[in-house]
Amino acid sequence: MSAGGARMLRRQVVNGLALGLATLATLTGLIALVWILATILINGAGALGPHLFTRATPPPGSEGGLLNALLGSLMMTGLAVLLGTPIGILAGTHLAESGGRRWIAEAVRFVNDILLSAPSIVTGLFVYEIIVQPSGHFSGIAGAVAMAMVLLPVVVRTTDETLRLVPVSLREAALALGAPLWRMVLFVLYPAARAGMMTGLLLGIARISGETAPLLFTALNNQYLSFDLTRPMANMPVVIFQFALSPYPAWQQLAWAGALLMTLFVLLLSLGARFMLRPRRG
Amino acid sequence: MDASAAMPDFATEGETAPRIMIENLHFFYGATEALRNITLALPDRQATGMIGPSGCGKSTLLRVLNRMYDLYPGQRATGRVMMDGENIISPDADVNTLRRRIGMVFQKPTPFPMSIYENIAFGARLHERLSRAEMEERVEWSLSRAALWDEVKDRLRAPATGLSGGQQQRLCIARSIAIRPEVILLDEPTSALDPISTLKIEELIDELKTDFTIVIVTHNMQQAARCADQVAFFYLGELVEVGPAAQIFTAPRQRRTQEYITGRFG
Amino acid sequence: MSGMAIARAAPRARRLPWGDRLFRLLLASAAILVLALLGGTALAIFWGALPAFLHFGSRFLTGLAWDPVRQEFGALVPIYGTLVTSAIAMVTAVPISFGIALFLTEVAPAWLRAPIGAAIELLAGIPSIIYGMWGLFVFAPFMADHVEPALTALLGPLPILGVLFNGPPLGIGMLTAGLILSIMVVPFISAVMRDVFLLVPLALREAAVGLGATRWELVWRVVLPQTRSAVMGGIFLGLGRALGETMAVTFVLGNAHEFSASLLMPSTSIAAAIANEFTEADSNLYRSSLIALGFLLFVITFVVLALAKWLLARLSAGEARR
Repeated sequence: MSAGGARMLRRQVVNGLALGLATLATLTGLIALVWILATILINGAGALGPHLFTRATPPPGSEGGLLNALLGSLMMTGLAVLLGTPIGILAGTHLAESGGRRWIAEAVRFVNDILLSAPSIVTGLFVYEIIVQPSGHFSGIAGAVAMAMVLLPVVVRTTDETLRLVPVSLREAALALGAPLWRMVLFVLYPAARAGMMTGLLLGIARISGETAPLLFTALNNQYLSFDLTRPMANMPVVIFQFALSPYPAWQQLAWAGALLMTLFVLLLSLGARFMLRPRRG
Repeated sequence: MDASAAMPDFATEGETAPRIMIENLHFFYGATEALRNITLALPDRQATGMIGPSGCGKSTLLRVLNRMYDLYPGQRATGRVMMDGENIISPDADVNTLRRRIGMVFQKPTPFPMSIYENIAFGARLHERLSRAEMEERVEWSLSRAALWDEVKDRLRAPATGLSGGQQQRLCIARSIAIRPEVILLDEPTSALDPISTLKIEELIDELKTDFTIVIVTHNMQQAARCADQVAFFYLGELVEVGPAAQIFTAPRQRRTQEYITGRFG
Repeated sequence: MSGMAIARAAPRARRLPWGDRLFRLLLASAAILVLALLGGTALAIFWGALPAFLHFGSRFLTGLAWDPVRQEFGALVPIYGTLVTSAIAMVTAVPISFGIALFLTEVAPAWLRAPIGAAIELLAGIPSIIYGMWGLFVFAPFMADHVEPALTALLGPLPILGVLFNGPPLGIGMLTAGLILSIMVVPFISAVMRDVFLLVPLALREAAVGLGATRWELVWRVVLPQTRSAVMGGIFLGLGRALGETMAVTFVLGNAHEFSASLLMPSTSIAAAIANEFTEADSNLYRSSLIALGFLLFVITFVVLALAKWLLARLSAGEARR
């Protein structure tokens, strides 16, 4: 009886210890989150101001803003969305509508999942090899293509998954009216899956807004305000990278301000995407 | 292309001439034979009820008639299904044209994620080029025929998913008749509905058969008795017996039919 | 209105399904493009790396020197840095992720699970450059002032193991980089673990608890063995991310092409070397060597991620059979 009691006690202690450590692990994660966000908020808030949106990045040692970087990121993100979204939606539709039976669909799904987690710096190298090198210079277009390549697998994945959630009966009802496949997909499936597909796009945009590595040797940077996508183009991630590692206080201030803007934008997009997905219709 | 003024093109045919003639039809899901040697005439502008226990093949037959099985690899049909001298299950038949002539309403309501108006217009637009005025007329006509017009005329632009289940099902019937088919297939159209909606749809079916050839699959024998002129009883993939509704329900010739309608199985 | 004569539209001239054929072609080409992108990436990067591979041969993999002046490039130090930082990341991230998954499935009250799960997932949403800035300006000084001196005092004198923890407390180095990587991959691993733990059939849980198992015994003896392959898949997924992570590591690793045994010393990783040096590479051989590093990274992460996918697919196949 006492031996059994001792064993019981030991099991309870191990149990309590394990669950306590689990709670501690969760706290560690939460502390890291708060620590990082607080760092960005405290350092960035002091550097905020209207000048960020009215002036271009300054030369070393003087004052300026982030206008050119913001506009550059906006333009390249826009172009990346225009490039990546249609291709991603079409490829995702192919996966969902071929029923996963054909080997090509399986291979594409596999490759897409790899692309989803593949190092983005490799994407940057690829775009360097196929666009920057042949054209002879860095450009906004190359940056946008690299961003589109990061966006593409996110769109493919969410399109595939949300389309497969649309009930078969809806497809059959459209086809039973004599609708050709393309009309069924365009006018029935896409509207039915709209919320999920938008969520995927928002998550994708959030992802590419923070990506730095693929831009380092595609868009590079540009100290001046430029709307020419065929030339090197300023963008938030690379400006933050260069300014943060610089010895000039004014540049470091701008880097913190940029980091705060970028984090807010990305987190708001992720939260917005989450919110959109919440009200699922039964 | 202004077909709305034209008279029905089959008006000259005899009243009992079959609209569709099914001859020696076999159907396979992969290696499984789901329908065995079915021969059945579907008379023009009458309602044919198909009854039988679950898995007897009645829904499968419906899905053969407008080639729904085309969507799924491994499903195939042999034999002939003749309509206007054409075998509609031959690979040469144009499926989209066929589906315009043979509409289908499913067990569960399937409103598209768009407005009530657009739901009706979607089908009509597939097959005809209609002016705005013609389309509005067509939408009103279809909704009226489906006994839904008075309930929705003030909110045609509202999403169809906001309608009640019974209204949604009548919307789907309206959507089917908006493309002016010759045959309407109904696959247990009231099994997901409340009794009042069911009654409305049964009245509607009775009304529709003055203009359309109706095929209705049902679990509910009272429904078959109320709606159908001719009743076909299926069992384990075979057509056991077919005849006028009154005869099937009062004096079935086959023992299995009698057992089913008196509730001894199924 | 209902009295309107029913008339059949004369069937339109039979349309060839060219619209559908075109549409299917469009869908298939988009899908093929996804395949081609991966293949194209492999080919293009291999092509760019070829001059370095041809010039150095196997010396590229085993060489310690990385000297742009003498045009001598060996990948051993970046490879070592990549592997060591990723190893540190996995050693810390796996138990923490398991703890979080355990907390979210067994410990936390139901109302707390969704918000805490979402907060942990937010960590995955923070851009890696933000981790880099936090790492360089906040975490590295914290490591230098508080953690590293204590580690050196505590573990430095140990035989063999001590080598890993000797050296000046710079803050910047492999240990700091590995720990930051670990924070970055925790949300990925813990999300997979939590999701597969929740897939374990309720009946099995109830059976174990019914036998008198504690929560810990339930997870350790029943849930974990049941989900082993998917848990491994999640770990490999995290590893794939850690190996290829660039910006955060670039900030805190120091870009030192010198081999050092101590985890407290600066080093470099494949991704960080490319990020730091690519735009400065002034000779074709230099640039080709950096692309060759990229090719190595591509091959390593491809294998790891493919393994992850395979392990995760095994669980879903098993679930489907059940």
